[in-house]
Amino acid sequence: MDWASFLQSLANGILIAGLYAAVTLGLTLVLGVMGIVNFAHGELVMLGAYSTFWLFTLLGIDPMLSIPMSGLILFFIGLPIYRFTIRPILKDPPLNQLLLTLGISIFLQNLAMILWKADSRAVITSYSGMSLHLGMVHVGLTRLVTFLIAVTLTIFLVLFLYKARPGRAMRAVSENNTASWLIGINVQKTYLLAFGVASGLAGASGALVSTIMYTFPMVGFKLSLKAFCILILGGLGNIPGALFGSLILGLTESFVGTYAPEGSGWAEGISFMLIMVILIIKPTGLAGTRRE
Amino acid sequence: MENIFLLQVKKLTKHFGGLAAVQNVSFEISRGEIVSLIGPNGAGKTTIFNLISGVYAPDSGEILLDNENLVGRRPFEVCQKGIGRTFQIMQPFPHMTVLENVMTSGLFGRVPKVSMRQAKEETMELCQLVGLGDKQKAFSRNLTVADQKRIEIARALAVKPKLLLLDEVMSGLTPTETGEAIKLVRRLRENGTAIFLIEHVMKVVMGISDRVIVLHHGEKIAEGTSTEVANDPKVIQAYLGEHIDESEEASC
Amino acid sequence: MIFYPKLVDSYFLHLTVATFLAMIMASSWDILARTGQVSVGQAGLFGIGAYTAALLYQKVHLPPVLGMLAGAILAMIVAIFLGYLTLRLRGIYFAITTIAFAEALSVIWLMTPGVTGGAMGVSTPPLFNGNREHAYYLILIILALVIFVVWLIESSRLNFAFTAIRENEEVANVMGINPTRYKVLAFMISAFFTGFAGGFYSHYNTYIIPYEVFGLGISIACLVMPIFGGLYTIAGPIIGTILIKAIEEYLRVTFSYGHQIAYGLILVVVVLFMPEGLLGLWKRRILPLFGRVRQ
Repeated sequence: MDWASFLQSLANGILIAGLYAAVTLGLTLVLGVMGIVNFAHGELVMLGAYSTFWLFTLLGIDPMLSIPMSGLILFFIGLPIYRFTIRPILKDPPLNQLLLTLGISIFLQNLAMILWKADSRAVITSYSGMSLHLGMVHVGLTRLVTFLIAVTLTIFLVLFLYKARPGRAMRAVSENNTASWLIGINVQKTYLLAFGVASGLAGASGALVSTIMYTFPMVGFKLSLKAFCILILGGLGNIPGALFGSLILGLTESFVGTYAPEGSGWAEGISFMLIMVILIIKPTGLAGTRRE
Repeated sequence: MENIFLLQVKKLTKHFGGLAAVQNVSFEISRGEIVSLIGPNGAGKTTIFNLISGVYAPDSGEILLDNENLVGRRPFEVCQKGIGRTFQIMQPFPHMTVLENVMTSGLFGRVPKVSMRQAKEETMELCQLVGLGDKQKAFSRNLTVADQKRIEIARALAVKPKLLLLDEVMSGLTPTETGEAIKLVRRLRENGTAIFLIEHVMKVVMGISDRVIVLHHGEKIAEGTSTEVANDPKVIQAYLGEHIDESEEASC
Repeated sequence: MIFYPKLVDSYFLHLTVATFLAMIMASSWDILARTGQVSVGQAGLFGIGAYTAALLYQKVHLPPVLGMLAGAILAMIVAIFLGYLTLRLRGIYFAITTIAFAEALSVIWLMTPGVTGGAMGVSTPPLFNGNREHAYYLILIILALVIFVVWLIESSRLNFAFTAIRENEEVANVMGINPTRYKVLAFMISAFFTGFAGGFYSHYNTYIIPYEVFGLGISIACLVMPIFGGLYTIAGPIIGTILIKAIEEYLRVTFSYGHQIAYGLILVVVVLFMPEGLLGLWKRRILPLFGRVRQ
């Protein structure tokens, strides 16, 4: 048994899982707090990737440094999106919410195409090609740093949700928003903040994405589907589930990529196949509807 | 050889999670009988309805309609075998008129299928029967509670059922409306339909039932005429343990 | 309608053909939506139709119209399977599954170039030797057929079944409607015409690639037009298509990419301000104005 390639696959899978988890965090937050599946989440990630790309290309800002900047930019983009398009439909049937966020998604995809053309952009830094050797395994430096930052983002989010007042308000609201309102939590403000934070997370993870993948208008769509796959794998609206799902997806893609003939092509389709297989067998997803 | 019982339920059991919603319940209903199912809240009454109409599948037990096994059949098949039901929370189709709502059952609930024209004629008669004659073109969401209940009943009747399951149709009605509803139920029985009612309004239950079945914590604790049941110590105990006063006469 | 081709120049004829094609796809989507199944993956069926026609021509020189028919039938068969498998899925889950379906097909196509031509795509010679008039008549016939089918549905008991299932599937079931039968039926009809449209497209366009015919853009187009025009009606998808195609054509001339930005905007505007589409707006806001004037 070729340990080297097994361990390499394992490492790659874990590293990419970190990125996927970062991307899914914001989606999970919005779903958990206000019960909305934001189809446009991937596009917020895409915008974060572009923002990092342009900050790097035009201002020379290192992508790792621009993570908080992209996060902040998207936070402020997310606020008006919430206020003007999401808030009005909070009580609408889920299908309307689907169509609305889908509309935003399409709008943003095409806006990106108009503004920046369909070309794939790459963020290449001086350290882009470097890798570390840990035993038998090569670990790309960027990937490793991305993974660590993704973990950091997750930890920050968890701390925020459990220790910070607005975060705890979000958790309360996700459990029962009537009760929360009764005890004085401003539910609307909480929703607004949650969406903003989720967008910020999307922006930050977009920055990470730009260092590992090409940046192009449809990159958000691809990531959205992976995020949905993760939600379905891990349970909707809860963070541990998102982490678990990310790991499963990341590892599966990695092992298929290594061991299946022409695996790297097929690996791209894993998320779609998983979605279909799981939903067909268990129509409410693997873990049902558990909310944080 | 025709069975004297229309509906036979034998040792019906249904668990949700670890909880037994219905436990070992058996009873029969004959043609043309009016039987009431009563019991404190959460006793499992609507679950029984859901089991009979095929919405849930029982964990064990039998349900026989005219000696034919209903267990494992899907709700539309049960309907086509001759069972019509109303829902406790009224759910008329919001984008259909009253007429269309009732026609829908008439078109699909009957075997063999009837033509659109016949379904429409029968529907119009039914609407008259239940008191919706002048509201046929109205949209259900604009109607009063009592009228929405009428739609539910008409919809259930449109399938020309042998057995009609009425889920709390009397609650929320004024005394006049209640009186009309009772008259309607009696008239239906005269036409040969067996009627199985879930009710909280005791006056109604005592007034029209041939028999009463009492459910408590998913088990049948008593069965008999209204007088027998009213005097049964087990029944009194079950109700005293819960607060039922607010559900009686709740119509005002 | 019949003499139309003689009256307009080649460019407008092409535009009309494209518009009719879009109307077919829009109406087909609406048929499926009537049972409450909101598909965001019609591209999967469109692509199957397109490739069936193109590949059958390439391998066995099947005449185009027969190829389109074969595409329609194959799409219909796939829809039967997909329909049964997705029966228990509601709303968003169904939508996500359909997206995944189309994307999965795209990946499969890319990974099997031996059979499907892969990323290089498949070419076919111009339809009817480039005679746009014949293409026009063909697409007109199919469009008329689709409209006829929708009219049949609306005037039969199917309309009751579809509407009941859409509004409350559980209650419809208890009232004697077999949801499986009608949901799969709607899927089949919808798939047949969407598949045919795909087949037509492949011959008319002479060249198809997976990225395009299985692409999200097609799926979105299928749904924006009926939603804009007015769901669950005959005229809605038609009107929606005309307007959107007009907007799209203008944008396509202005920007080379990204003209679907209008789709996104329209979806948002419709959900927020006119959920019943243009027809709903007409019925509720504009028509009553005429009533008042007459009084």
